[in-house]
Amino acid sequence: MIENIIIIAVIIAAIALIAVIASRSIRIMNASTIIHSFATMVLAGYALSTVKLPLFFLKNRYFFLDALGIYEIFITGCIFFLAAIYAKGYMHSLIKAGELDPKNAKLFYVVFNLLLLSVVLAFSANNLALLWIFVELTTVLSAILIVVLNAKENITAAIKYVFITSTAMIFSFMGLILLFFSSRQGLEEATLNWDMLLQGAQQLPPQLLLFSFVLIFVGFAAKSGVAPFHTWLPAAYSKAPSDVSVLLSGSVSMIGVYAILRIYSLTAHTVVHPFASKFLLAFGVLSIGIAALSMLVRTNVKKIIAFSSIEHVGIMLLGMGIGNIVWMVYHLLAHALAKALLFFSAGIIHRQYQSNKIEAIYNLFELQPFASWGLIIGSAAVIGMPLLPLFISKFFILADLANVSLLLLLAVLVLLLIASGSFAWFMIQMMQIKENVLPKYRAPASMKMALFILIALLLALGLYVPDKLYAILEKIVVQLGL
Amino acid sequence: MNAVMNVVLFEGLVKLFLVVVVVSTAFILTGKDLLALFRTYALQSVFIAAVAFILFLQERNMILLYTAMLTLVSKGIIIPKLLQKVQKSMNVRRDIEFHYLQPSGSIFLSIILLLVVHLIFLKIMRDVTTSSLFHTGLVVGVSLTFIGMLIIFSRRKIISKIVGYLTMENGAVLFSLFMGELPLLIEVLVLMDLMVLVLVAAMLAFGMDSSIEDFHYKLNPFRRWFKGGKEV
Repeated sequence: MIENIIIIAVIIAAIALIAVIASRSIRIMNASTIIHSFATMVLAGYALSTVKLPLFFLKNRYFFLDALGIYEIFITGCIFFLAAIYAKGYMHSLIKAGELDPKNAKLFYVVFNLLLLSVVLAFSANNLALLWIFVELTTVLSAILIVVLNAKENITAAIKYVFITSTAMIFSFMGLILLFFSSRQGLEEATLNWDMLLQGAQQLPPQLLLFSFVLIFVGFAAKSGVAPFHTWLPAAYSKAPSDVSVLLSGSVSMIGVYAILRIYSLTAHTVVHPFASKFLLAFGVLSIGIAALSMLVRTNVKKIIAFSSIEHVGIMLLGMGIGNIVWMVYHLLAHALAKALLFFSAGIIHRQYQSNKIEAIYNLFELQPFASWGLIIGSAAVIGMPLLPLFISKFFILADLANVSLLLLLAVLVLLLIASGSFAWFMIQMMQIKENVLPKYRAPASMKMALFILIALLLALGLYVPDKLYAILEKIVVQLGL
Repeated sequence: MNAVMNVVLFEGLVKLFLVVVVVSTAFILTGKDLLALFRTYALQSVFIAAVAFILFLQERNMILLYTAMLTLVSKGIIIPKLLQKVQKSMNVRRDIEFHYLQPSGSIFLSIILLLVVHLIFLKIMRDVTTSSLFHTGLVVGVSLTFIGMLIIFSRRKIISKIVGYLTMENGAVLFSLFMGELPLLIEVLVLMDLMVLVLVAAMLAFGMDSSIEDFHYKLNPFRRWFKGGKEV
């Protein structure tokens, strides 16, 4: 029964969608969404620990679940679950403040549930063209979530997001066609099924494999916010409602990194591999550099968190490029949790000050102590402080980078120092004390609960990486053939 | 003898249609009347469908026939009609604003792009046996994609940018026609994906020129249920 995981996930999503569409109450819409995301998380967690992977679905094996896919679905389930809990109080606050029309709540929850389903299907796609289709679908659905607020700037941000990512994704599509063509040249049967491509990767014509890798990278790099294709990201993350920013940073954009990892694994054990590694290193360093320098001059709290996402995608590419896949994949999880904490805290701050601008924020500890702790712990996590989970992954990735080039390590360290310094300075400025004239915003319990769960998870993961988790990370590397 | 003549005729026709596709792209790159832009896009799509149909007659691969039919219906009729509908509701008839590049510069750059793509493909495909038609098809497909990108960059109005994106997508379709057709299910899903994307992008374009209330009214199907007092 449990082996039909994808079918179960689709049925749960369908039930949740019917409940949301049929409901008159925003509370029921929210509850259905919470149950849907919780069920997805539990299903993925259960499958990860008990089911023998990989599992293939359909006769043509267009869908499958391997350790990486189900690990990503688990992270997605966690992030959507926490965002759904947070949304309970947050949406109410937005409606009360007149920033969200209650008539749009149904649209929001329908698209939220559809987005979760699309992300799950993207992570379950064995056929790379199907993965591409679901990734495109997530872009469209995310854009709708961005424009649900009563603000015209959000439409501009959504347009930028849709155009930049979709334009780049056309190049990915051409890369996939090229890969399909090269599979016809090298394998018995033309295919875009990832497992078959991995098995026969050494038989693919190297020149075509290399060219398709580069083309496919362009689209998925834009999706994940890799520089120089990142220009949509700061606007989209900062204009979106905070729970949507969490979905974008922790799950939706990470499909891009996931897809790059899948394509990169095809190049392992081929003559193309050294080039692919250097290619990823170059884009990793570029992303860290652009993010670090951009963070120096930021005045918007959500924008600086957004630029930090670009920096972390850069670190993930570095991890991939140097072959430290275990900690790169761990970084995906830790980063998703830390960014969720920061964006949730930023959401409470926006409700308090009606602004994301640093000039508007003061007496933060006095007015919003819970969000202040969220920001402090989240910031400490993203800059890689010890006893928090991103420290471990950053440390091991940088340690391995030293084996590649000491000069490169030095350059990356300087850039990370700039990024961390900018981030820390920004957070300190937010704690400034002035004479208080603002009434205190009372954050609903659901918003605080999401923050509390994240703080607990980050502290726990920082102190101890469970053996079971480490075993899963190792299994992912083995199944990727890296 | 007849078979050889047929092949020559088919190849000649495909090459002719590819030229028409390139010329139509030049119109999209420089045209100012929005209705004419949509019609040119529809025409371009019809010629791509015609290329697919001729390739089907040569290869007798049913996927090519389905691709031709799908392209004809979706891009030759449905998408242009949809864009026309949005344009009417926006009350904008012309797009005369260009940035970064003026039309003459865009045409010049497009010609350079065609040449560069041709040279790159000569190098990449040197290990793979290909016909001259195959090479021309690939070059036109990839160039169309780049020129579509140029349209997105040089146009200011979102609705014209959408036509640029659609031109890019047509380039990818041409590329896949010559490289090898993907399974039918994937082709259909890609097309459905494109329709959803165009629909949402068109809504966003409408949102830029209207009030936020009108935009949400158009975007949100559930909102109409509320307005009618029948909250289902």
